[in-house]
Amino acid sequence: MIAFLQACANGLLTGALYALIGMGLALIFGVQRIVNFAHGAFLMVGMYATFLLFDKLNINPYYGFMAAGVLLFTFGYLLYWVLIKPVQNKSPFMQILMTTGIALILTDGAQLIFGADYHQTNIELINRTLRYGPFSLNAASLLSFGIAGVLIVALTMFVRRNLTGQALRAIAQNPEVAPLMGINVLRIQGLSFALGTGLAGLAGGLLLPALYLFPGVGEDYTTKAFVIVVLGGMGSIEGAALGGLLLGVAESLTSLYVGNQWALVVDFALFLLVLSFKPSGIFGRQRA
Amino acid sequence: MRRKTALASQAVFLCALLATGCQNKGGGDTVRIGVITSLTGSLAAFGEAHKNGYAIARDEINAKGGLLGKKVELDIYDDQSKPDQAVQGVSKLVDQDHVTIILGSYSSENTKAILPAVTQRQIPLIMPTATADNVMESKSPWVFRICAGANDYARTTIAFLKDAGAPKTMAIIYENTNFGQSNMKSMTAAAKQAGIDLVAVESYEAKSPDYKAVLQRVKKANPEVIYFCSYLLDATTLMRQAREMDLNPKYYTSAGTGFAAAEFPTEKGAGKNAEYTFSVSQWLAEAKWAGSKEFDAEYFKRFNSHPAYHAMEAYSALRVAAQAISDAKSAESDKIRDAIKNLNMDMTPFGPIRFDAIGQNQHPVLITQVQGGKYRVVYPAEAADSKAIIPAPRWSQR
Repeated sequence: MIAFLQACANGLLTGALYALIGMGLALIFGVQRIVNFAHGAFLMVGMYATFLLFDKLNINPYYGFMAAGVLLFTFGYLLYWVLIKPVQNKSPFMQILMTTGIALILTDGAQLIFGADYHQTNIELINRTLRYGPFSLNAASLLSFGIAGVLIVALTMFVRRNLTGQALRAIAQNPEVAPLMGINVLRIQGLSFALGTGLAGLAGGLLLPALYLFPGVGEDYTTKAFVIVVLGGMGSIEGAALGGLLLGVAESLTSLYVGNQWALVVDFALFLLVLSFKPSGIFGRQRA
Repeated sequence: MRRKTALASQAVFLCALLATGCQNKGGGDTVRIGVITSLTGSLAAFGEAHKNGYAIARDEINAKGGLLGKKVELDIYDDQSKPDQAVQGVSKLVDQDHVTIILGSYSSENTKAILPAVTQRQIPLIMPTATADNVMESKSPWVFRICAGANDYARTTIAFLKDAGAPKTMAIIYENTNFGQSNMKSMTAAAKQAGIDLVAVESYEAKSPDYKAVLQRVKKANPEVIYFCSYLLDATTLMRQAREMDLNPKYYTSAGTGFAAAEFPTEKGAGKNAEYTFSVSQWLAEAKWAGSKEFDAEYFKRFNSHPAYHAMEAYSALRVAAQAISDAKSAESDKIRDAIKNLNMDMTPFGPIRFDAIGQNQHPVLITQVQGGKYRVVYPAEAADSKAIIPAPRWSQR
């Protein structure tokens, strides 16, 4: 029982960051239907940005991640107008080509500039453990979890309450009718793409202390992000948050009871199960 | 018309340039020795050790007049810690640069990957550090291994444990590539033979550093001994998370590599979490072989850190290659190969080096323990300079 609860706790800590990544992709893929295969690469860029600030200027990743978020937001906004908009209403195949191309350029660019070396940020917090009876939590992961929690709530509020956020949801629900309601679709879509990449940047910064950094680090996260969005239900941003948490716990429990090498298998098993039996997503209300 | 002629002449000129360029690479006034190792990627720390070891050997050889009256030059190919890149390396070094012997690669995975390529091209390969025993199973007459292998690691660790309290239960935690798998298999067999109960055998993917669930499974099995087969980054993370999970076996043992890397007991590695871990080792500066201390001093002078056995094995690989070329009085591949087969080096800082019928150098294995941030030899008794501290103190009491 203790082992089960401990694994759930560890899963939730990872899951909160998955939630951020998933919400980012939900804004891009779920809301705008842009099949974004570069999401993991954006995450990787966020990690490198945070790492460089730490390595060169000695800025703690828990401050640095904000800079990574701003950087990726700006980058995403520019990218949208230059490269994404032209393929937005083209076939998904074109979008896959475009975003895969972006991912390749970013990953290989990172390799060219920073080399294939693995990096680790050995900050003090990562070596600290909080103990509650038989349970233990890593201090750095807990802090990442807290920050991710705040960001998730803020984003949910924004989408629900704020006028821009509501416009965003309106486009997700019906992209043809939304402009008739006076919504500037292009502006909102640029914004939501930038928000999505910005979230990937933030998540990258928060993941950095717990991960090894290398140019290919994002690749697994691209697929994970798609799994999360599908779990949560296409188009649902809150659903993606829940999907992320669920995936974190599922992976952790699989590692505990079945074995570490099966954790990635579970991602895709869940993905296929949901697509086969409940394509609207576990938490989805609307149809996909 | 005139323009076409100009173009044609330029083309010819270029071809001529290229041709002379190629010739320079083929012959020239140096003996080129091919090296494949992992200068970048996840295994960069070990590739760096390789590079440093090779550099010391090269300078030593050149200071004594080089080989066949020429200077020795290293042609180093970085495989980026990836097996497919290592194979590319063979093709680049042999087909393009025309080297006649290759040393490398670092990891068992990458070394295994290049075996067919060197055998097919009939180029002798000296393997400095690949401990997975399947690199010796190819039966290729072109491959030679300097280091001891996974079976020797397992056998020595078991002998040490028998001598030091004879524990009854063990868990194996291994990284899921050739090195980890091979060492896991060797230890599984050795433990069974010694009557030690394997209560958990767990693999992990080195690149995703969340090993907590793995450690939890092991904790539930409550073994007296844990045997790790890990590279450096994962070794560092495993020990940190073992502390976090409050995992307290009596013995932390390991198949060297990450747990024996120069960085491991320092702040760049696991730091304090490395204390009390045991590891197999193939060489230390304190080894009784003549030249060990001098190598350590030279390494420290140049690179401002102390070498682990990976650097020494690279150094020895180049020394072996040089000896073979000078014995053969030729830099042709088949002559070098025959010279390596008949080689008999009694006095090297890595101990005596000679290869058996399948190309394996018989090399003894030591057991070390991290004590006060340093590797201390604790087994076998005749080589030991410290007493083993058993059991490892519980994390709460450190």
